[in-house]
Amino acid sequence: MKIVIVGAGAVGTHLARMLSNDRQDVVLIDADESKLFRWGSELDIMTLVRQPSSIQGMKDAEVNRADLFIAVTPNESENLACAMLAKQLGAKKTVARVDNYEYMKPENLELFKKMGIESLIYPELLAAEDIKASARYSWVRQMWEFNNGELLLLSVKMHDANPIGEKEISNKDNQLVGHTLKEIGMKHGHNFHVVAIKRDGETISPYGDEKILPRDLVFFMTTKDNLAEIRHLTGKDDYPAIKNSLLIGGGKLSVRASWKLATIHDGIKMIEPDKQRTEELQSLVSPKTMILEGEGYDMDLLNDEGYGNMEALIALTDNDQQNILACVAARRRGIRKTIAQVENLDYFDMADDLDIGTIINKKMIAASHIYRMLLKGDVDNVKMLTIGNADVAEFVVKPGSQVTRKKVMDLHFPYGVNIGGMSRDGHSMLVSGPTQLQAGDKVVVFCTGNTLKKLDKFFK
Amino acid sequence: MINWRLIAKIMGFLLFIEAGLMMLCQGVCWIYEEGVKAFSPAISLALLLGIISVVLGRRAGKKMSRKDGYIVVSLVWVIFTLIGMIPFMLDGHVPDVASAFFETMSGFTSTGATIIDDLDAMPKGLLFWRSLTQWIGGIGIVFFTIAILPAFGVGEVKLFAAESTGPLHNKVHPRISVAAKWIGGVYVALTLLCIVSLMICGMPAFDAINYSMCTTATGGYGTHSALLDDYYHSPAIEYVLIFFMFISGVNYTLIYYTILKGKIKNFFSDAELKAYLIIVLGASLICAIVLAYNGSMYNVEESIRHSLFTVISLQTTTGLATVDYTIWPVQLMPVLLFVMFVGASSGSTSGGFKCVRLSIIYRVLVNEFTHILHPRAVTPVLMNGSIVPYKVVQTLMGFVALFVCSLFMGAFVLAISGVDPNDVHPNFDYYEAFGIAMSCISNVGPGMGYYGPVHSWDILSPLAKYVCSFLMLIGRLEIFPIIILFTRGFWKKG
Repeated sequence: MKIVIVGAGAVGTHLARMLSNDRQDVVLIDADESKLFRWGSELDIMTLVRQPSSIQGMKDAEVNRADLFIAVTPNESENLACAMLAKQLGAKKTVARVDNYEYMKPENLELFKKMGIESLIYPELLAAEDIKASARYSWVRQMWEFNNGELLLLSVKMHDANPIGEKEISNKDNQLVGHTLKEIGMKHGHNFHVVAIKRDGETISPYGDEKILPRDLVFFMTTKDNLAEIRHLTGKDDYPAIKNSLLIGGGKLSVRASWKLATIHDGIKMIEPDKQRTEELQSLVSPKTMILEGEGYDMDLLNDEGYGNMEALIALTDNDQQNILACVAARRRGIRKTIAQVENLDYFDMADDLDIGTIINKKMIAASHIYRMLLKGDVDNVKMLTIGNADVAEFVVKPGSQVTRKKVMDLHFPYGVNIGGMSRDGHSMLVSGPTQLQAGDKVVVFCTGNTLKKLDKFFK
Repeated sequence: MINWRLIAKIMGFLLFIEAGLMMLCQGVCWIYEEGVKAFSPAISLALLLGIISVVLGRRAGKKMSRKDGYIVVSLVWVIFTLIGMIPFMLDGHVPDVASAFFETMSGFTSTGATIIDDLDAMPKGLLFWRSLTQWIGGIGIVFFTIAILPAFGVGEVKLFAAESTGPLHNKVHPRISVAAKWIGGVYVALTLLCIVSLMICGMPAFDAINYSMCTTATGGYGTHSALLDDYYHSPAIEYVLIFFMFISGVNYTLIYYTILKGKIKNFFSDAELKAYLIIVLGASLICAIVLAYNGSMYNVEESIRHSLFTVISLQTTTGLATVDYTIWPVQLMPVLLFVMFVGASSGSTSGGFKCVRLSIIYRVLVNEFTHILHPRAVTPVLMNGSIVPYKVVQTLMGFVALFVCSLFMGAFVLAISGVDPNDVHPNFDYYEAFGIAMSCISNVGPGMGYYGPVHSWDILSPLAKYVCSFLMLIGRLEIFPIIILFTRGFWKKG
């Protein structure tokens, strides 16, 4: 597939990296030669130094043969103009990044279609969705729902193990750490599946003799009814449910987050130091939100507002350091759920090491979103997620496809592929070795590495 | 961190390629029913080493650093030469190691200097191997591999960067493996066209194939020791060769765009092509006029033909010769040395300094003069309408310095190591040393004085042969990738 990306900022280059690793034909355009210099010699892509909205530049990039045109410069109007031009020049599909929530409203979709822009990307909205997925339960890092919430994919951080046999198992102990997946399966039945483990920054696809270690981030696939069991087994019975949250910073992302969180939380507080901005915010945030004027590091204010009773702290200022520090401090005070916005990718691993819970990076989220959108046309699936270097895809089993002929364990899926669960006739269930898939089943698959593409033939 | 496992893995694949190439030559031996047994040991060795390397590299990490790229590219040229020289040694036509190494390096770097006195006595299989080394080396060993293999899977970009020539890189396709296939296609098409044209002009098939491979590679090996004019007596063949040598000196990316995309206008407005044309035509004109007025040597048509042939052959660093230019009037020697130094276009198979660099330097100089008169003028260096980044200009200046240093160092060491004193031409003139150094570093082939197109370089001392081989290698890879390996910073951790 030929893909033209305009704007070599964080989103553009992250996308270019993902797509070129995927062996797509990528052309990256930017007016700034110094931004491109590095990528041309590092990635297998073509770089062009052109003004983004230059027609000649687009012709040089052969936009007329592009399957996808992506405009992700920092300038919203330039993105829109580029996408419209590209469409008229013959690009099959166009995507533009915008900064305005109004454009994202469903009723305006048709308007943009008419202008020749198929999709709009508003990173703040996507990030807000991620925040919501993370801020639901304090004991779960992130949770995704499939089939109307009946099938769940969740990630849980493993804390210290209890040495086996040395003391009584109490509610606070993690009963999974130190055991292999086989042992866990035999002991606790098949009410959940471990589909992946993220360890030392790498997502691995585990097999039966893989041991769960402390500090692992474990991805479980389960049905709604078994959620409590996982919570019990991971030793997190005493973690409170999250009903209120504190947002630090009153930027665009905070506004979007306040709306998303309003659907799951009862009380939301938002701290913003700028008086003028607090006034603007009154009309922007969700009605459940209380706006406080002050700094995020003002301990007196925080204590006054019941800092100790907060169940989640979400730091979304433009200052990465401040966000990270706020989360570290909150962790010390016993707040179980902390989420920090970290825009500088160099801080990313560092922040992960500090164990501050969920890290939100708008640019990466936007890039992954576009990447998934692209695959959607390619792979016949309904919903897709990217977690680290793993993909989650929902396939619909086609009549007569390869998977319907054998049991799951005899299918010999490529290494790195893990079928989590499926829904059949509206009922959700987990998939194990002896399961026989049927046409019409919706299957949730977890793939690490670049295995997703290989799966296509199994389901077609 | 140097990823040795990955390097081993890639080397393994490359060795399989070399084994495959030598099998082709073995095939030629069978066709001509020659009892050459020299290839099987070399093939076995290449396969064995290839298997060992692949086994060593089977759990290689997927990350290729810049350093790894330089190591692979430098190593592969040396290892290909070490294995490729085995057939010459076993067959007995090239007795000593230094000569065999020289001959093979001269092949892979598409230089074309030879130490074999009588080519006509060589088995056809070995002649074909000489031509094949040039044909592969002309486009680049790694490039060739990227073009024919589906993909290494890793690091093509870094390998490509380390092997490609010229300061500015234009891709014909976003993905290197696809771009390599297109450019490789242009290369193959040119070679086939050349074969057909030569055969139409009456060259026997085997000669036509070999000369075509050496022409499009701008290498200059052949199948006969005699000069072309003396052997074939055919102006038609010479004009065909002139045409194909010239085309092979054009940037292949430009050829691709001109032919396959129909952008003929771009062809003649390309800054590098202009410089190339001006130098070729100017130098040929000077030679033709001097030769024609010198009366006694050639008539007018011959003057023009031999001038064109010699200038183009030397400038594209092919090194084929119709006549012995070393006996031309002495005024022409600086002209010939100059075209040898300049070379043809970047992104072609030719060696040398490359016209594009000269063109950029010219622009920098013009800007300098503008600056003297208008100290506050903002003067970007423009090539084909786009600004040449300052970094590129800076690297170019570094390249000039290195090129000149290598040239003089090479000439100096050659002058010291000299010739075998018992041989036919025991004295070594300074201009001959300089000519050899220039010829090697520009990958031309013939040099000056005694070391012109008529004589082989067999009389050089073994040390001089190794020095020449080294100069050819750094010339082919444009100096930086080899010299960087000799810097302390390269091997320092972190």
